[in-house]
Amino acid sequence: MKLKLVLEILGFVALAVLVAVMPSFVSDFHSREFAIVGMYFIALLGLGVLTGYSGQISLGHGAFMAIGGYTTAILSVDGISGHPVRDIWTIPIAGVVAGLAGLLVGLPALRLSGLYLALITFGIAVSFPQLPKKFGGFLGGTSGQILNLVKAPFGLDLTPNDWMYYLTWGIALVLLAVAWWLLRGPTGRALQAIRDSEVAAASSGINLAFYKTLAFGISAFYAGVAGALYAMASAYVNPDTFPIILSIYLVVGLAVGGLGSLGGLIAGAALIYFLQNHADTVARWVNHLPAVDLNPKQPGISSAIFGAVLILVMLLLPTGAGGLLRKVFRPLTTRLYTRS
Amino acid sequence: MVGVRVLLVCLLAAAVAAAAAGARPNATPGVTATEIHLGSSVPLSGEAAIAGNVARGAEAYFKYVNAKGGVNGRRIKFTYLDDGYDPGRAVNNTIRLVQQEQVFAMFSSLGTNNNLAVRKLLNDNKVPQLFVSSGATTFGRDYKKYPWTIGYIPPYSEEGAIFGRYIVKNIKKPKVAILYQDDDYGRDLVSGLRRGLGAKAKSIVARVGYDPTSSDVQPQVTQLKASKANVLMVFAFGKFSLQAFNAVSRLNWKPQIFVNDVSSASALMSIVPQKAANGAISIVFGKDPASSLWKSDKGIRLFQSILKQHGQDITSRDLKDGYFTAGMATAYTMVTTLKKAGRNLTRQSVMNAATHLNEKGNPFVLPGIVIHTTPKSRFPLTQVRLQRWQNNNWRPFGKLISARPR
Amino acid sequence: MAVAAFTWTEFAQQLAAGIREGAIYAGLALALVIIYRSTRVINFAQGELATFTTFIAWSLMNHGLSFWSAFPIVLAIAFTGGVAIERILIRPVENASVLTIVIITLGLALLLNGLMSIIWGGQNRQFHGPFSTRTIDVGGVPISVQDIGIVVTSLALVALLALFFRYTKLGLAMRAAAVNPASSRLVGVRVSWMLALGWGIAAVLGAVAGMMIAPVVFLDPNMMQTILLYAFAAAVLGGLDSPLGAVVGGILLGVTITLLGRYVEFIGSTLKLPAALLLILVLLLVRPGGLFGKVAVRRV
Repeated sequence: MKLKLVLEILGFVALAVLVAVMPSFVSDFHSREFAIVGMYFIALLGLGVLTGYSGQISLGHGAFMAIGGYTTAILSVDGISGHPVRDIWTIPIAGVVAGLAGLLVGLPALRLSGLYLALITFGIAVSFPQLPKKFGGFLGGTSGQILNLVKAPFGLDLTPNDWMYYLTWGIALVLLAVAWWLLRGPTGRALQAIRDSEVAAASSGINLAFYKTLAFGISAFYAGVAGALYAMASAYVNPDTFPIILSIYLVVGLAVGGLGSLGGLIAGAALIYFLQNHADTVARWVNHLPAVDLNPKQPGISSAIFGAVLILVMLLLPTGAGGLLRKVFRPLTTRLYTRS
Repeated sequence: MVGVRVLLVCLLAAAVAAAAAGARPNATPGVTATEIHLGSSVPLSGEAAIAGNVARGAEAYFKYVNAKGGVNGRRIKFTYLDDGYDPGRAVNNTIRLVQQEQVFAMFSSLGTNNNLAVRKLLNDNKVPQLFVSSGATTFGRDYKKYPWTIGYIPPYSEEGAIFGRYIVKNIKKPKVAILYQDDDYGRDLVSGLRRGLGAKAKSIVARVGYDPTSSDVQPQVTQLKASKANVLMVFAFGKFSLQAFNAVSRLNWKPQIFVNDVSSASALMSIVPQKAANGAISIVFGKDPASSLWKSDKGIRLFQSILKQHGQDITSRDLKDGYFTAGMATAYTMVTTLKKAGRNLTRQSVMNAATHLNEKGNPFVLPGIVIHTTPKSRFPLTQVRLQRWQNNNWRPFGKLISARPR
Repeated sequence: MAVAAFTWTEFAQQLAAGIREGAIYAGLALALVIIYRSTRVINFAQGELATFTTFIAWSLMNHGLSFWSAFPIVLAIAFTGGVAIERILIRPVENASVLTIVIITLGLALLLNGLMSIIWGGQNRQFHGPFSTRTIDVGGVPISVQDIGIVVTSLALVALLALFFRYTKLGLAMRAAAVNPASSRLVGVRVSWMLALGWGIAAVLGAVAGMMIAPVVFLDPNMMQTILLYAFAAAVLGGLDSPLGAVVGGILLGVTITLLGRYVEFIGSTLKLPAALLLILVLLLVRPGGLFGKVAVRRV
């Protein structure tokens, strides 16, 4: 056990160092791209807690990101009784608002399981973008809200992209540590027990309702924070900023990253971002295969590639990147454990 | 251990220094002695993917111009990215194009909300946002706040107003029912219609919006028919417009139908029940490549030959796709603007050119249209004609009408 | 700004429209339920599969075949395709987590959607279905023959399925394989082929649904996307493992949503989907298995 702990802490430190130095090696725009990957990572951390650890499938987490994003938009533009709130301070508020919404969803979710839960949460993903359209007044309707452009605070000499990068990954590292710490302790064990067998967990005295709802709340909080950051980075929110497909992409990222693995989620986040925005690069790689000549700009190519990649990744790595990591590291740890 | 790290840092520093030394500070981003780099963000995937063909049409046209020597000795490099109609991605694409690709200007990005999302960003950074592919009035009207932005197609509100004025002039005792897409696009058309009806605005007896997540608009049309209206405005997009005609036919209703320009492509009108479509009225400003009117037209012939020669993966269907033509028309104006801005090309000079346009003879729009702008009137295309659908064809009637906001 | 007031004629028309909408949801919901019953998987690609097979039908008809000549060919292709997908994509990960399989069906949906755009393009097309577009007068209310045809077809499909599952050996074997795979194997049921069969049948149902809907809503690659959402709702409403529930749920949903959208101004068109969701959520809280579904009761 101790060795595993040491490895995890080393991994965390390595990640922190990588995060700190990355912007010096890449262009300004790439910093922005990594920042967005970071936002997806934060959302996936939350989803990982919910689905990976407590076993509840949610196909609606895009809605919690939207709640976070809209909270930030409204607070930083309209503010509280006319005083706009500084964008960074809206982040924790957005998280809390989304977290509360998560608790609200978690309650009825107790009565649903498996695929019924998945479909209801999917229904939330589908329904949520409709709400700002109806309550146009202060939610901005279809034309949305325009936020102020991001600027580094306290006169720090950073470009807006670098600032978003450090802000996002700083928060991501903190939230990663929190999630890791939470899951190591009794909460994590309770959640895993629930995932593995609700009946057994309940018989050993675990309060199912409490932990399952808590998991929803935590995961929604994370998603809200991610949404708030994304709203800041885009300086614009409307129903299309957090579309239905976002909830699908989050689940995709989770599956690719690997259930039950926190580190693998970075791979999942990177995949979501990369496949959406660099489908043309993938098309060019695929063009190297004989007899294949794709036009990356042709409508339909990027969806087809995304779909094909997903299928391949899931067929080849059913347990995701995290599963792969575990397989790679297991011989290392077990060999050091078993003494013969 | 430490030695390796020091070495790595030194190598890195050397690489950065070399790169910095090699790069010449460029006065105007996106313009070199031989090239002008334009950028755009359009949907190439998802529901709105067919609209993304405007970029492909423009791309073909730029290649054609390059083959003939370019503009003032420079070739046009056109980079367009897919945003799936998602404003977040449109913002990301725009930042990538401006900061990473260092484009000279953003050109013809598609989508009202996508352009709204990046407008402040572009204007704050003094990057031209040229010939936006959206008819939202704000892009032409709010130039005081956003001087680096200019639209292209006639504003939707004016389209509605033109219909309104026609009704007042030509329909006795009109009772108007409106089916509209319940977003800014549809509402723009409706408010324009109201304005055009003027004192007769009371003749609107029913108004039903539909959400783009609807699966069919028959319930809405049913509701409108029950109002006993004799005029139906179809302010709907693509398949919803088709479904509306279907519903009208199924309900045995025979109102005078007005259909918005965006849904008036011959390819669409010819597949709805003709008993409902016959007599429908719309406006037109571009040449529809699927219409028999322009079969032997020089401009459309040019359009098709350019697509065949310079387009990528063009199918025979694409040769009749109005989105390609619209893209080419906008690209034509872009080239006119670049020519006008001259060899000394800066972002300021291109904005000056764009706000002092007087382009005649754009081969891809109706003959007689003059694409005209002034610094205070930033609506390039403001002349349209009315047309009526009869026997599987649009027949324009009347003179060119102004669609300039008053 | 007056919206048309209530008239019985219009109400009847809205009701008819709602029933027809519901029948459309039911068609696709039926396919979802068949797959769920036999493989315990929600097939997110069901809509795209249906649209894909409808495009194949369109292509065949474009090359000169009549609807009825193309119909059996399309069904055969759909069946083969469904079986192939189960064998190639689902079988390898049969024992993986639910999430993995869901992702594969999502990937399939994206892939098919992309392929349709690539092969056929995104434009809307006309699809000439089997039913005439004539409108007949039923007590002063114009009802289209097409709408009647769609409703009758959906009901006929569920009846056929019910007969199949109840009275044929194959149907019995499929039910056994779904309920208790281990015991079924012992009595000689080739369980894994029963799963493939389920997918094949679902693909056929989807194809029929697609070919019925396309004449009404026009054919394009995204035709089924919103309908699939309502089909999920209908399936959940009726109970994920009940074919009858899928049809009843579908029609009930279609009627309720259409009437709510028309007569409750607050809901209008914008909040139809959220209203559907709310209804279903409330129902599930009261009856966790949907209207006709069965949920294993766990008592701790």
